[in-house]
Amino acid sequence: MSNAGDIIQRGGITEIVGRLSSGRTSLLLTSLRRALEQGGVAALVDTDGAFDPESAQAAGIDGRRLLWVCCGGRRDIALRATDLLVRCPGFALIALDVGETPPALSLASAYRLRLAVRRVDSALVILGRRPIAGASASLVVETIPCGPEWIGTTASRLRLAGACTEVRVRRAQGTAPTREPVAWRWCAR
Amino acid sequence: MVRPVSFACVFVPWFTVAAEERCDPALREQALVIVTTATMPARRPSGRKRTAPRTSIPRVVEAGPLAREAGVRPGMTETEAHARCPALVTRALCVEHVNAAHQAMLDAALAVSPRVEDAGAGIVHVDIVGLASLVGDEHAVAERLLRQTSAVGLHSCVGVAGTRTAARIAARMGPRTVVIPLGHERAALAGVDLGVLDLPARLMDTFVNWGVRTLGDLAGLPRDGVVARLGAEGLAAHEAALGLDGTPFRPYLPPSFWEEAQALDWEIDALDALMRVVERVLERLTARLAAARVLAGELDVHLDLASGQRHARTIVLAHPLGEVHPMLTLISLDLEAHPPGAPITRVVVSASPVAPRVVQPELGSSPSPSVRDLAAVLARLSAVAGVDAIGSPRLLDTHRPDGFTLVPFAPPLVGGGDRRLDETKPTALEEGMPPLALRRLRPPRRAHVELEQEADGCRPARLRVEPNTRVERVVVCAGPWRRSGTWWDGQGWARDEWDAALVDGTLCRLVHDRLSDHWFLDGVYD
Repeated sequence: MSNAGDIIQRGGITEIVGRLSSGRTSLLLTSLRRALEQGGVAALVDTDGAFDPESAQAAGIDGRRLLWVCCGGRRDIALRATDLLVRCPGFALIALDVGETPPALSLASAYRLRLAVRRVDSALVILGRRPIAGASASLVVETIPCGPEWIGTTASRLRLAGACTEVRVRRAQGTAPTREPVAWRWCAR
Repeated sequence: MVRPVSFACVFVPWFTVAAEERCDPALREQALVIVTTATMPARRPSGRKRTAPRTSIPRVVEAGPLAREAGVRPGMTETEAHARCPALVTRALCVEHVNAAHQAMLDAALAVSPRVEDAGAGIVHVDIVGLASLVGDEHAVAERLLRQTSAVGLHSCVGVAGTRTAARIAARMGPRTVVIPLGHERAALAGVDLGVLDLPARLMDTFVNWGVRTLGDLAGLPRDGVVARLGAEGLAAHEAALGLDGTPFRPYLPPSFWEEAQALDWEIDALDALMRVVERVLERLTARLAAARVLAGELDVHLDLASGQRHARTIVLAHPLGEVHPMLTLISLDLEAHPPGAPITRVVVSASPVAPRVVQPELGSSPSPSVRDLAAVLARLSAVAGVDAIGSPRLLDTHRPDGFTLVPFAPPLVGGGDRRLDETKPTALEEGMPPLALRRLRPPRRAHVELEQEADGCRPARLRVEPNTRVERVVVCAGPWRRSGTWWDGQGWARDEWDAALVDGTLCRLVHDRLSDHWFLDGVYD
């Protein structure tokens, strides 16, 4: 899975799970850029308001094509906004960032989301600390931090160069892109 | 060379009734009259006037065809009209309905020809010279005018002739279209009854006494004799009988705003019932917009309340719209969020017209949400999350951290997605590696940092972030990166940023505000 496009499952739900600083948000931004570079539009439902426009700009995301929904920490609003977006045809990618406290998503609601996404031929990516969509997710990938990379010789000249992440397929329906863990490297700005 | 002239007249009979039927099409099947309340002084038995008290007697202003068949005529009292026609349906005269219908007539005529004259309620003159290559002959032009006026909710008759007067008389002859060949106006109108001219009663009586019954009879009278006996009124009538125009053509200039109104017979306090009324208003408004080939860029909704106040809302549309359903959805969501404080007695909806953009999509471009779907989903998201919580992120031209604003989501209609938030700054992708993203904490969390002295200065060693009580040890940290700005306008800021790796593996950004001497956790790299 060396390509962010392998994560985007059109007509299905993909979950990117991992702890903080594991690289899951960076992977999401890369997937967003991949979805937008074809000329489509995408939506990001941001539960905790953690989206950083500067990071998106660095990732090459066209802000004009990104609909950002700030939910102010309200999990119920985030789920309702996602439900509205998955029923609107035309979005190449809909991302739901549930933050560090994932909401309770019943299996019925998750399957409803999956059916809606399939109907409009879009892709739903859920970003969180742990999976919440259950069996309705087509692909669940886990990001495992491999540690930051520093450059510099002395403490005063130390600089964060980037971070390394291992992306592993935790569960996949049908043919998974690859079952082998793939290392990703991120560059600090 | 004399410029050929040819005019069409669009005539809507019983226009006040037609205007009311346009607002409520179900009334077309009923015997409808329009009434107005006229005040009359109460009389003493002796017949002398008394100033007070006065009585209001509803009188018929206009009667529809079914009511006329029953013998109802304008001027009758409502009671007499009901006596003649028990199944009569009465509606109070609503000036807004009449004005809106007249405006719709003009809009429909303008959709056929740019030269239109407003000749009064229910009558529009259209200059049709030059339309042969666009529309066809006179019959085709007349049919086009009929279709356009029907599209805006009015049933009309069209007459075509060499003069406006002849065309107007021809239109009154009905039932649909009458075309008088050029130069044959006098002959074609000869047999028409004199009543079609709507002459004053005194003048009409004079002609009747003279035995003049038709336009041909009147046209046969000597002109000088008519002028000598009847003056200017008689001359005007004589020229009309000949089919001549007495006034120059005065082109109509369309107004700069679009408005439709609906007065209510009773107060409405339920949103569902109000939306049904708003839907009918929007149908008329969108029909007019479509006739003029424009879209609505903004909607103004004014609700007159039973308390005497007015509830006004402005709905800015993310995309110009011309369809009823998404407009209705937006208005419904807005009124749900901002309900009026009293029952509603009148609804007025106006639109700001914008010219539609015609865009040719690229062959390989990805599909985008349609304008209608996008407007509806944005409206619903605004209702769920708040108007200020949705949009496209745009970086501000500032060095202040987290400097961005939300702008209305309006994706470009064509073009690839290679435009960045800020084209002036290079991206990490240009260096060949995806960038490490930062998850912001909004607002930044207050932190308590223990510093330890090192050879080149103090560095964070331990960290506690409110409201947690747990103390995390800082394993590695890089910094400080000093940033400051806007010190010249009284809103200065100055901060030191540190990239710190904690013992639990979290990679975060610590900020020391030099102005307040406080530490904050600004974000987490993820």
